[in-house]
Amino acid sequence: MDGIQLEILWSNLLSIVSEQGRALQRNAFSPIVREAGDLAAAVFDARGRMLAQAVTGTPGHINSISNTAQLFVERYPPEKLEPGDIVIVNDPWEAAGHFFDITMFTPVYRGDRIIAFFGCTVHHTDIGGYGLGAGARDVHEEGLWIPMSKLYEAGEPNQLLHDIIRHNVRTPDAVFGDLAAQVSSGRVGTERLLSLCDRHDLDHIEELAEEIIDRSETATRNTIKDLAAGTYHGETVFDAPGGEVVTLKVAVTVDTELGEILLDFAGSSDASPRGINVVLNYTHAYATFAVRSCLNPELPNNFGSLAPIKISAPEGCIVNAKYPVSLNARHVVGMYVPFPIIKALYQVVPDKVLAEGAGAIWTVQIQGVDQDGMSFTSTMFNYSGGMGARREKDGPDATCYPTGVAAVPIETLEAVMPIEFTRKHLRPGSGGKGRCNGGDGQVVEFRMRTGSKWLLNMMPSRVDYPPEGLEGGEPGETGVFQVNGKDVSESKKMDMEPDDLVTMYTPGGGGYGPPDTQAAE
Amino acid sequence: MGDAAYALAVDIGGTFTDIVLCDADGNTWVDKTLTTPTDLLEGFFRGVGLVLADANAKAEQVTGGVVHATTIVTNTLIERSGPPTALIVTAGFRDVLYIRDEHRYDMYDPQIEFPEPLIPSERTFEIKERVLGDGTITQTVDPDEVAAMVPEMRQKGVVSVAVCLLNAYRVPDNERAVGDALKAAAPDLHISLSSDVAPQMREYLRASTASVNAYTQPRTRPYLAALETRLAKEGYPHEPLIMLSHGGVVSAEMAGRFPVRMIESGPAAGAMVACHFAEKLGLDDLLSFDMGGTTAKACIIQERTPLVTGEFEVDRQYRFKPGSGFPVTVPSIDMIEIGAGGGSIAWVDTLGLLKVGPSSAGSEPGPACYGRGGDAVTVTDADLMLGLLDADNFLGGDMALDMAATKRALAGLAGKLGLDAHAAALGVFQVVGENMAAAARTHATDRGIDPRGLPVLAFGGAGPAHACHVAELLDSDKVIFPPLASVLSAFGTLVTPVRLDLVRSELGRLDMLDWDRVKELLEELETEAHAALLDAGIDHAQVRYGYGADMRYYGQANEATVSFESDPRALGGPENIRIAFEETYQRLYGVTLSDVPVEVVTWRLSAHGPEIERGGRVTLADVPGKPVSKRAIWFGPGSQPVDIFNRNHLSRGQVIDGPVIIEERETTIVVLPGWRAEVDDIGCVIAERMN
Repeated sequence: MDGIQLEILWSNLLSIVSEQGRALQRNAFSPIVREAGDLAAAVFDARGRMLAQAVTGTPGHINSISNTAQLFVERYPPEKLEPGDIVIVNDPWEAAGHFFDITMFTPVYRGDRIIAFFGCTVHHTDIGGYGLGAGARDVHEEGLWIPMSKLYEAGEPNQLLHDIIRHNVRTPDAVFGDLAAQVSSGRVGTERLLSLCDRHDLDHIEELAEEIIDRSETATRNTIKDLAAGTYHGETVFDAPGGEVVTLKVAVTVDTELGEILLDFAGSSDASPRGINVVLNYTHAYATFAVRSCLNPELPNNFGSLAPIKISAPEGCIVNAKYPVSLNARHVVGMYVPFPIIKALYQVVPDKVLAEGAGAIWTVQIQGVDQDGMSFTSTMFNYSGGMGARREKDGPDATCYPTGVAAVPIETLEAVMPIEFTRKHLRPGSGGKGRCNGGDGQVVEFRMRTGSKWLLNMMPSRVDYPPEGLEGGEPGETGVFQVNGKDVSESKKMDMEPDDLVTMYTPGGGGYGPPDTQAAE
Repeated sequence: MGDAAYALAVDIGGTFTDIVLCDADGNTWVDKTLTTPTDLLEGFFRGVGLVLADANAKAEQVTGGVVHATTIVTNTLIERSGPPTALIVTAGFRDVLYIRDEHRYDMYDPQIEFPEPLIPSERTFEIKERVLGDGTITQTVDPDEVAAMVPEMRQKGVVSVAVCLLNAYRVPDNERAVGDALKAAAPDLHISLSSDVAPQMREYLRASTASVNAYTQPRTRPYLAALETRLAKEGYPHEPLIMLSHGGVVSAEMAGRFPVRMIESGPAAGAMVACHFAEKLGLDDLLSFDMGGTTAKACIIQERTPLVTGEFEVDRQYRFKPGSGFPVTVPSIDMIEIGAGGGSIAWVDTLGLLKVGPSSAGSEPGPACYGRGGDAVTVTDADLMLGLLDADNFLGGDMALDMAATKRALAGLAGKLGLDAHAAALGVFQVVGENMAAAARTHATDRGIDPRGLPVLAFGGAGPAHACHVAELLDSDKVIFPPLASVLSAFGTLVTPVRLDLVRSELGRLDMLDWDRVKELLEELETEAHAALLDAGIDHAQVRYGYGADMRYYGQANEATVSFESDPRALGGPENIRIAFEETYQRLYGVTLSDVPVEVVTWRLSAHGPEIERGGRVTLADVPGKPVSKRAIWFGPGSQPVDIFNRNHLSRGQVIDGPVIIEERETTIVVLPGWRAEVDDIGCVIAERMN
């Protein structure tokens, strides 16, 4: 295939999955999907190798689906599938690391042959069990466990599975609404792909798949071969909600012979008693994200571009958690996975990395009873700290890395529940000083206007261990979480008095370079 | 034609100022003159003078009105040439423009940048006041506190102020109090209240919109006032009408209050042209396709009306990426714009793939063939190499193209692809077409529309050369090449009716709707729109209203915009509103959710004046034109000799089978093999695919 034909077909595939991703995000019920784009959409070849993926909101999902697809084709070879079948799974170890994420696969038939699969993952509103938060004692308390199974068989709903889901989630309408959206995205993708095949007279996409994977893999290996060989170390220490201190260590080995990068997380903390543990598949997603965004962000994600990046972690550590530990709030640790890697890569490509930032977003959820006596539960909403400085640029203020989550507007929250924000502004000087400064965190303060008691579920982090600077840059300020002006450190739902005032000071990002030097022009 | 009623249109774009004069019979006179950036009115009146002289007409005879589209607002933003502007916000929320919505628009790029706000923190002022989400005012405004800000504003040279207070979309009283106090203390200040500019929920979007309005107003208002004065002085009987981004015209006074609504006035006029031709040709739906030097724009026309969106982004700064500009929430024609134009650069990436755009050679140095030192292969170079363009007849021969330079540039590109120069050029032609077709497809499906088979209306410098190819990729069998292509946007303003769109957010679940409040709100919107239409010279009896709402299922965060077929107050209650919502939702997403409540977020009203009956006419030849020459063209691996026609020689009803090239001064129509072109009564060339 020449560079013209391939460009035409490949760009069409990318545009198909991006349509799929946007449609999913737009009509999702799950707030975190709509606001944060917490979803994945991708197309795979008949061998389950990812060919193209929508660019969506959080790194956690986007690469884990690639591994899930490999398991799916092993378990569902063509003879076990027929047109109209749709398979789902939420097994944390096989899919995206906690039960909330349901991954779905739709086979694409051209004639009687499967030529591809569409896959998507959506963070659902509810999955039964403990609900949002890190408080479950083991994975079974966290909700419904769906092993890989058919949701539809030859176009007909698998009634038993539908019933089980309906009876085990608190918001069945929203969950089935989102499942319907997933089904419809697979259908749209299928139509698009078949019409692409029609336009270009293709019976299958095997040759296209080979070209995409080959060229991506070769390009990635070549990029790695240009780096300085060696093993580089990085370490990040942070405090998770509840005050637990977590250490993530990584040894990044750049193998310029093979053109591979190996990440080994040996030395990282053991699994936590709280539900902040991360399965290897999810660690893989954040780790490959970190490497690729520093190395060759312009190259699309696919089986080939991911293949040369390999990871390992000791069994049972916090980033390779084993059954039966709890996992619900795995993003809290997952969002820190890139930092030790970036610190190691700083020694290799200092112009492409950034200093540590606030890390995890601070999430908030409120339950209470309004003035009319109606009970309400808010959606999760979240606030960012500052992003770390780059070599030539300050870190953006109140902006999160590695996720890129948007905050829910104050007016949207005030319109749907009896809350009053009293301030939300930057926290000047909270970014670490440096040749380039870290981004500032922010101050967000609110109270409820219900006149009755309420419950607060809050996830602050980095209140003890600040984001470090790079190359002599100063650290950012630690975060502060206060109720009525007093520091609090909680990872559980808190009972609140009617007039309690909640104040968040999110952390600033680390600086880059000694503060008294000038940024290079 | 002594008493003939003329209508005059002027479209000031970044490079050219286009003038169209039209009489009651549809005869047209056009001119294209260079835009005069330091004083836009200089070019305006010079061009107008030439056209009037050409038609032997006088200002007093322009009884059909003067319609104007201008780039002044966009220029002010892009050049950052607005004067110091201040922002007043609720105390505690001073960084609203800096914090934005906290979204990092490109997850993969750690080197991401965000635009510097138009109004910096040193000119942001906090006022003690508060309106809650339910509309309760817990703290009113102290006018003395506002007055006390004025000396500092003066000292900082502030001439314009945006005011954006929390929840003012719902209860504007506090914003109005701030506005009144400012006016009292400093009557000369320009004031933009967010509750007037964009009364919609979401504080950052509203603050951003109000800031853009405030920032651009001090340049726009005097400009429009000067235009009005000078037109009156020269004897024009009517005040000018100004084109807005949503595809309607309003009075200069109204446009001056809301310059943020004028940002896309030129492109909107292009979309209105497409509606006009849909009407003339008896087509309901169309895809307008405008491909110029650096970008291509496409807009879907449904039932002879362009799609309108409530939000868009201006001045994208970081690699033109979505998210790197300023969001504004005002009605605007829903267009896609992609980096694919005649000047787009072709290159080979690290994977060996041929890419086209988004970087552009611009006009300096321009495509290699301009001979100004550019060595990059552009779309124009590929077109030249394939024979689609004539090196000796570009811009009617005014600008010779350098074929040798094109060949040199293409040799490099072809080498990287391992192909010969013609194959590489053909690849550029194909890839740029695919890019545009893919963008149009995504744009359409995002809106629940099937783009396949939509007739394509092609214009812009590069559009007519690529339209048949794009149409083939969209399974479309018909491409329309309208007359007056070189001044089409200006012509578009002439066929645009007076129209104003207004919105107001008022969150409410349908099953708990305060119906009286809704009626009151719609009446308020009608009163406001009605006054604006009368102001634009429309009679009371001619005003018509269209109604809509942004709605969602309870629990969702994004709304779907629903148009009602009639006044929702006459729909007999919320049940029918729900039905209208579910019809739209079904079309967009293929599902409805019968158990979930529906809520309205924003009500929409559009007020229209009468349809415009004007049309343009071109003079067609009496006898069918003959080919003026023949040249070798590559539509595939080998070349073939193809007839070249001059568009001015074509006669009504003349039919020419493709492949054929039809040249006019500013553009070249390429009719591919398998297509047949025919000239219709009003001078459109219509190409249809033969079976």
